[in-house]
Amino acid sequence: MSVHEALRLLTLAFLAVMVMAVGSAFADETCQSPFLPKVTGQEDYIYVWTLGVKGVADGNDSMVTVDANPKSSNYGKIIHRAPVPGQHEAHHAGFTDDRRQLWAGGLDTSRIFIFDVATDPARPKLVKTITSFEKDTGGLVGPHTFYSLPGRMLITALSNNKDGGGRTGMAEYTNDGKFIRTIPMPKEAPYGYDVRVNINLNRMLTSSFAGKKNYMRPVGELLKDGEAMKQFGDSVVVWDFHARKPLQVLRVPGAPLELRWALLPNHHYAFTSTALTGQLVLIYRQDDGSWATKNIAEIGNTIPVDISIAPDDSKIYVNSYGDGTLRVYDVSNPFEGKLIHQVKLGEQANMVSTSWDGLRVYSTSSLLSKWDKPGDHWLKGFAWEGNQLVEKFTTDFSGVGRAHIMNFGAKSFGPR
Amino acid sequence: MMRTWGGRLAPLALAGLLVSAPVLAHETPRPAEEEFIKGAFNPSFVPPPPGSYDLPVLGKVGSFVLRDADGRRVSTAAIMRGKAAVVSFVYTACSDRLGCPLASAVLRDVQQRLRAADLADRAVLMTISFDAARDTPARLATYARALDADPALWQFLAPSSPSTLDVLLRSYGQDRAPVYDERGRFTGRYRHVLKVFLVDPSAQIRNVYSAGFLVPQVLINDIKTVLAE
Repeated sequence: MSVHEALRLLTLAFLAVMVMAVGSAFADETCQSPFLPKVTGQEDYIYVWTLGVKGVADGNDSMVTVDANPKSSNYGKIIHRAPVPGQHEAHHAGFTDDRRQLWAGGLDTSRIFIFDVATDPARPKLVKTITSFEKDTGGLVGPHTFYSLPGRMLITALSNNKDGGGRTGMAEYTNDGKFIRTIPMPKEAPYGYDVRVNINLNRMLTSSFAGKKNYMRPVGELLKDGEAMKQFGDSVVVWDFHARKPLQVLRVPGAPLELRWALLPNHHYAFTSTALTGQLVLIYRQDDGSWATKNIAEIGNTIPVDISIAPDDSKIYVNSYGDGTLRVYDVSNPFEGKLIHQVKLGEQANMVSTSWDGLRVYSTSSLLSKWDKPGDHWLKGFAWEGNQLVEKFTTDFSGVGRAHIMNFGAKSFGPR
Repeated sequence: MMRTWGGRLAPLALAGLLVSAPVLAHETPRPAEEEFIKGAFNPSFVPPPPGSYDLPVLGKVGSFVLRDADGRRVSTAAIMRGKAAVVSFVYTACSDRLGCPLASAVLRDVQQRLRAADLADRAVLMTISFDAARDTPARLATYARALDADPALWQFLAPSSPSTLDVLLRSYGQDRAPVYDERGRFTGRYRHVLKVFLVDPSAQIRNVYSAGFLVPQVLINDIKTVLAE
């Protein structure tokens, strides 16, 4: 057999790759870890980590399943609710690297709830609760981002149990819930919030928000406290991912929150938005290998919160808490963001997630229990039709609580 | 001159081990994946030097009696004793370009690097099949030959019973599930997240690598890091 023939056979074999989605998809399903297998087609379910509200259902935080498949008779409806005991300031959640478990955190109690989503993907089941996060980690408080790495979870924290301020760190646990280590944030950039890894560059970014004494305080009171308002993060840290060592601190004033790496391997940049200063910010690698930032769009005084990136890096979606609006920016030139579309969602908005194929966009309403405005809570589903995002459904959460982060599920990730 | 990533996998194709999966004509390789696989062998970063970082203990693995490519019963503990072990779970019929063939190509590269670094007597590579029914000793031997595996450095193994396989996979935290068609027939394929494990001389897992970060130079640096402790 000639070398040419061998390569032809290899090509044929490699063309079969997408038969097996697990472990082989590296485009975006919104903004998940590159180590996570993706839902590459139509998502069947959206798992919504939902804040419990006194007097609503049993009042507990819960993992709510919404049917997201347009072919289903339950499309857009809540089909399951898995409560956990009590209220914990339900906030973010993320899958393990095999997508068998969904870890969900409470910013108030620092509890971590682990749901089995593989045995019956429509019906997540609470299988373990980690109650020792503060003790394990040497005093970290407020587990925020749950980011899958091979065989383990990387978890950012927001605060500490000494003064409730923003000095914090990250923690690692094995997939079966055993504590591995704590990674403190650097002294010159002590605040924490999100974490994202670029595997092509061996670089990791972290962002910065605020400590517990700020995020658990009523927002009206907080805004009037000048000293407290100074205690927000102003940094993005660039790390050596493999070594888990900080390399460079970038000053990004105004609480940079969610981080989104561009997905194409030759795109050596990421985006964030600043909650207090309303900027869409590019974080990019310079020719000498160091990193820099540039404000690329003025979102305005709207308190932008979650952002999501299109699979081809052409667009950034920005949800704003202040005016309840979803804005879409063209970032095909990453150094200049252009507002191309916007949708008024409600009184407030928080999370926004894009499907892997970029065709569908989902939003939820709740931000923090003490910052939410009076009004409805919901999940809304949109689809691109031409150059417009068209609403496909609104799921009313008034009977279960307040809708926070979304993670996609699929029947194909069923029993293993 | 760097060999292409396709060239690195060519021995498996020549041995007829990479052509058993059906082809979806409308699916074409994604440019991102091409770049990504190239990046495993020619990364666009310099991995941190050995000993400059921590590799915390992730767990301890048990000892298992498996069957090798000569059909002999062997103990994994005996193979690994006193050495750093790189353990990869595969099935030889796997054609997922970011799956088993990539893992085996990376281990082949690591084998060469271990020799070059004079570490061949301090480390061992283990490729363990989770498809014992089809991965007979003869097939494992063919697979090993196609990869130029040095029997003194790289072992090809399979469990001899389903119960051993279950305990083995649980011990490492490796998932694996048969894929069935609409009629409930086994397709010959398994769904699994590609994982390669670094086990230190005390049988402790010190790192896990998946298709996102399976870089030979990173593996070598990690092996040197645990051997220097």
